Amino acid sequence: MKKSGLSPILNYNINTPIVFVAIVLFFIIFTPNHLFIDLRNLASMGKLIPDLGIVALGVGMLMICGEFDLSIASLIPLCSYVFATFLMKGINPALALIILLPVGAALGFINGTIVVKTGLPSFIITLSTMMFWRGVVFILSRMAPISITKYIKPYPYFEKMLTGTIGRFPLQVIWFVGIAIILGILLHFTKFGNWIFATGSSKGAARAMGINTNMVKTTCYIIIGVLCAVVGTLQSVRLGSFFATQGVGFELKTIAAAVVGGTSLRGGVGSMLNIFLGILIIKIIENGLILMKVPVFGVEAFIGLAIILFVIINNFTQRQMT
Amino acid sequence: MYISKNINPVNTIITMQKIQFLLWVQVLQILILFSKGMKKVKKIMIFTIAVTFIVSMLFIGTSTAEVGKSAEEMYFRLVTHGGDDPFWAVVAQGMRDAAAELGCKAEIDFSGGDLAKQQKAFLEAVTSKPDGIALVINDDTVWDKPVEDAIAAGIPVIGINNDDTKGPVGNARLCYIGQSERRAGYIIATRLFQEGEAAGVDFATAHVGMAAEVPGAMYATVRSQGVKDAMAEYGITSFEMIDAGGLEATTVEERQTAYLIANPKTTFFLGAGGICTDRILSSLKAAGLKPGEVIAGGFDTAPGTVEGLKEGYITATIDQQQYLQGYLAVYTLYLYNKFGLTPNVDTGGYLIDTPEILGVIEELSGTYR
Repeated sequence: MKKSGLSPILNYNINTPIVFVAIVLFFIIFTPNHLFIDLRNLASMGKLIPDLGIVALGVGMLMICGEFDLSIASLIPLCSYVFATFLMKGINPALALIILLPVGAALGFINGTIVVKTGLPSFIITLSTMMFWRGVVFILSRMAPISITKYIKPYPYFEKMLTGTIGRFPLQVIWFVGIAIILGILLHFTKFGNWIFATGSSKGAARAMGINTNMVKTTCYIIIGVLCAVVGTLQSVRLGSFFATQGVGFELKTIAAAVVGGTSLRGGVGSMLNIFLGILIIKIIENGLILMKVPVFGVEAFIGLAIILFVIINNFTQRQMT
Repeated sequence: MYISKNINPVNTIITMQKIQFLLWVQVLQILILFSKGMKKVKKIMIFTIAVTFIVSMLFIGTSTAEVGKSAEEMYFRLVTHGGDDPFWAVVAQGMRDAAAELGCKAEIDFSGGDLAKQQKAFLEAVTSKPDGIALVINDDTVWDKPVEDAIAAGIPVIGINNDDTKGPVGNARLCYIGQSERRAGYIIATRLFQEGEAAGVDFATAHVGMAAEVPGAMYATVRSQGVKDAMAEYGITSFEMIDAGGLEATTVEERQTAYLIANPKTTFFLGAGGICTDRILSSLKAAGLKPGEVIAGGFDTAPGTVEGLKEGYITATIDQQQYLQGYLAVYTLYLYNKFGLTPNVDTGGYLIDTPEILGVIEELSGTYR
């Protein structure tokens, strides 16, 4: 059972912060002309990383709870499509986003209910729902992109609030960090957070202690659904369009980010700060390798190697600590 | 239900002749039946009359179907490698419009770039015995035998969107409807290099970057060959293909932006496909570049590409008029069934680089263009 307070964030699995600092220093020193810390590069990363990062925070929290959610890759474009549809019907974008949040929650609730009621592996259940919702998006949208620029233009404050900049500093960073703080407080400083760790560590023991593990898991799925609604909106406002291909590939990248951040695939182990850093590590490696002009087909190979390396190191460290 | 699927009108004529022969045999047998004597022979005659009558009825059933099969009774399948791309929405729209006009049924398969999945879809399509298949031939060897076998089984197969690099010599498909990818790559690159020439670019030191959603895929490889053809004419030697990381827009933008920041000597930047071209505007802006600093262009007319053209960041794009690939695929298969026609149509290479053309395109972008 985990301890409450700051100790689980700072003391548990110090590897991730060390690796993060090492990676950043490496790319600062070795990228040509130190391009890694070029303001354009930092601004670009700040603008784009939150698309994956925000939803990865929720996926990481769910993994601590002992489950997976692959369907985010389809929930994001589905929420984006619903948002675009609301705009085309003349609904104010801010109101559209507010209405969309419970829609996302409902989609997450469906995932959670199926997982807890059937007792089947969540990997398979959410893989199926991912395929199902992707098909729904294709049928509804006929894969045609929908330009939403003209619907957003009359509401400049909404666009600025979501995707604006203060100088070069993109506001998406504030959304990303803010959501990480909220989920971090929820995970590490509330009773519900304790229940998440207990459920992930040992479902049987958690139930014996009177924890409603089904409710805990379903709530985590609902949180992910809401985050998908946020990301779907954020992404389509920034892109200026809805694309049916939004979120493709996110399902595995979010899991990889959580694992690099020290989250155990078996559940019960992890921290929100490390998940946050894990997301940054994955994206920084991708960015840094391109800046270093790694051969075009080598980027994916290096990212794969880096993930394996971190998983091995984290696993080794966890065994040493236990 | 048909005994055979004869799609060649010549076969229909032969069948009619067979029916006529059988009918004359029956008439002769009836005449013998009514003659006096030969009781045993008459019993045999009655039996053979019945058999020939049944056989001729079956032939008539077939020939009626062969000669008179209407568009409403026809069913076509489009087997593609697309799906995760707004480009294919337009192809599907063309297919639907053509099917609605003809009154026939048509369906489209998507494999999201997965060749194995596409092969499976093709075999399933063949099993469903459609009146024709339109196939994206995105490999020079993998489709040779399946297409040959399908045609031998009486199912007409045409190529759309991508073709064997050796054309009809390399694959048995009946005809091809789509863009000549190499020519399209040549056209867009030439247009960009003309812009560079007007701007006084030194071609000896110029660098061309080309971002591809799936770098190893045939569309990217063949288009880049066209680009290199144009490079050779202008004396440009530096070229790099960029792995844009797939079809996900954010990933594509991340990679393109990082590349542009890391390679400030990039003179020309192309998107090999619709998603990469769509993200060029955002990538150039994020890299701190102004319109014209990097001469950019690409393919298709996704919303971001249209914006890029309007803002001057993108010089030109190629519209491969993919609507026609779906629309003409259905019509071609219908007309092949009817008259045996096999037209080859180059739908592409339509250059969009003026405000007038752009105005038309913008209205239709995403649905018909």
